[in-house]
Amino acid sequence: MVNPVLLIVIPLGGAFAIPLFAFISKHLSKYISMIVALAMLIIVGVLIPAVSKNPIVVKIGGFRPPFGINLVVSPFSLFFAGIVSLVGFLVSIYAIKYIQKGDIDKYHLLFLLFLAGSVGVVLTGDIFNMFVFFEILCISSYALVAYNRDKDGVEAGIKYLIQGSVGSAFILIGIGLIYGLCGSLNMADIANQIHSVNSPLLFLALFLFITGFGIEGAIFPLNAWLPDAHSSAPSTISAVLSGFAIEVGIYAVVRFVWTVFGASNLLHFLAGLGILTLLIGELSAFKQNDIKRLLAYSSIGQIGLILFAISIGTAESISGGLFQVLSHALSKALLFLAAGYMIWKVSSRKIEEMKGIGVRMPITSFCFLIGAFSLVGLPPFIGFPSKFIIIKSALLTHQAYFYFLVGAVLLGTVIEISYFFKLLQGIFSKTEETGIDEAPLTALVPMVILTLLIVGIGVYPQAINQFLHLASHNLIDKMGYIEQVLGAL
Amino acid sequence: MEFIENYLYYIASFGLILIGLYIILIKKNLIKMIIGLSIMDTGVNILLISMGYLSGGTAPIFSRENLLPSRMVDPVPQALVLTAIVIGLAIIALALSLTIVLYRHYGTLNTRKIRDLKW
Repeated sequence: MVNPVLLIVIPLGGAFAIPLFAFISKHLSKYISMIVALAMLIIVGVLIPAVSKNPIVVKIGGFRPPFGINLVVSPFSLFFAGIVSLVGFLVSIYAIKYIQKGDIDKYHLLFLLFLAGSVGVVLTGDIFNMFVFFEILCISSYALVAYNRDKDGVEAGIKYLIQGSVGSAFILIGIGLIYGLCGSLNMADIANQIHSVNSPLLFLALFLFITGFGIEGAIFPLNAWLPDAHSSAPSTISAVLSGFAIEVGIYAVVRFVWTVFGASNLLHFLAGLGILTLLIGELSAFKQNDIKRLLAYSSIGQIGLILFAISIGTAESISGGLFQVLSHALSKALLFLAAGYMIWKVSSRKIEEMKGIGVRMPITSFCFLIGAFSLVGLPPFIGFPSKFIIIKSALLTHQAYFYFLVGAVLLGTVIEISYFFKLLQGIFSKTEETGIDEAPLTALVPMVILTLLIVGIGVYPQAINQFLHLASHNLIDKMGYIEQVLGAL
Repeated sequence: MEFIENYLYYIASFGLILIGLYIILIKKNLIKMIIGLSIMDTGVNILLISMGYLSGGTAPIFSRENLLPSRMVDPVPQALVLTAIVIGLAIIALALSLTIVLYRHYGTLNTRKIRDLKW
């Protein structure tokens, strides 16, 4: 048996080993981050069969769960950890040639801290520990957004930093209030006691947590930083920010609303908020003429859809939401990676400048096409089964409220189709010969792997359906969660 | 008067948090916004400390005789605040270094003038 702590220890250790290896050669760092991400992916793969049978609770330092820190490796958490390590690994291959300017050792150091923070947030079972990992994730992403030190990057970085740290302060106030009310920091212990606490402060704490994590999760009124940060960052960072960082924010919101607070009467509100996020994101994406900004707004739309699906609250809708998390992570990472070299070759982010690039860079553009089709939800790509499950489960609730929201989802999809087709039409139109050639092999390999995954899972969704089912039941089963953690004395 | 005495720490901490939030929302100068961030952090730290503080209490070390648990200060919030201070320091340091680079690009710290990225 592999100890799940390794999932956090390996990237942290790798991050702090990079400055040492940089004494020998700065170019070693890019291979270190690739090897570390691969090791994480292998550990997740080894853990999947064991965790599917029974969630693993790791007691750090041997302290019994209400005291000390514990990790809870449940199918729901492991699913997110798997996405983090898969996208992280593919992006680190892409970064070998793509990141050339600046201090590349510092880039890879921050990238590994970013992975460690994301995995830590999803695996931990302690609210303060979650805050600390969340801060590791946030601080490294602020620095990575501003990595190029150009005008846009620094401005977006500081905007992101100020909004993000206000959110962090909110989370910390929430932790203080919860500790004052329950006298515990362990999620299972709080979940066990929270129904005997009767205080208006409880609502304030929940509000603060949703606001704080919602800023990272880009829920509608809190997402002003996202289009700037995602479009100004280097493309590898846009891919990981869109691929899993905002999903980790959503994970934290869902964990607090479902497991810690058990606030199921809030779900209708969150579903409405999700749809609002979806429509705002898609409508704003429609009028963009900057390719990365368009993709960033489309991420907001997808996050809204994920939040909506999870907030419907049935087991099937949650597995649909998780399916959508996977589909969005793969498709959006692919789109940002493909867009990265298109922008590099054209040296502009404007869509008009991309005309005819489909002929010059056939493989990259084909991958971009697959990613866009999958995001829109065309069969046989992964976006189709995920959207299908979400809509089906929403209709099965037989509530007029959800029927109405499904209409909004379909409207959002229509808008999505129109702007993606406009973009693709520009890319594949004919122009004269220019000196543009195909992206290098290190970029093509991760893009082709992502394309194959998108098509493979799209054709055969049963491959992961069973695990998603386990994960969604694991999220709903709150008493089981408490028992696993506190009963494992 | 008794109300103020009982809730002095809470009033002070939420006062600081709100002052910090006000500065972040209203002020135009980037350095002032970062100062606001720092004030907000301080307020949150005071809130956490006051959760477990006991007037005249002492550290929970069992080696001393005649020390009842009711005279001990809860050590957990203090450990949390120690971590929170370090995190706050990292954020402020990063914010200030980004501000330096931003100033080199724009020659101003007025956030109303730094507006290349729009919706």
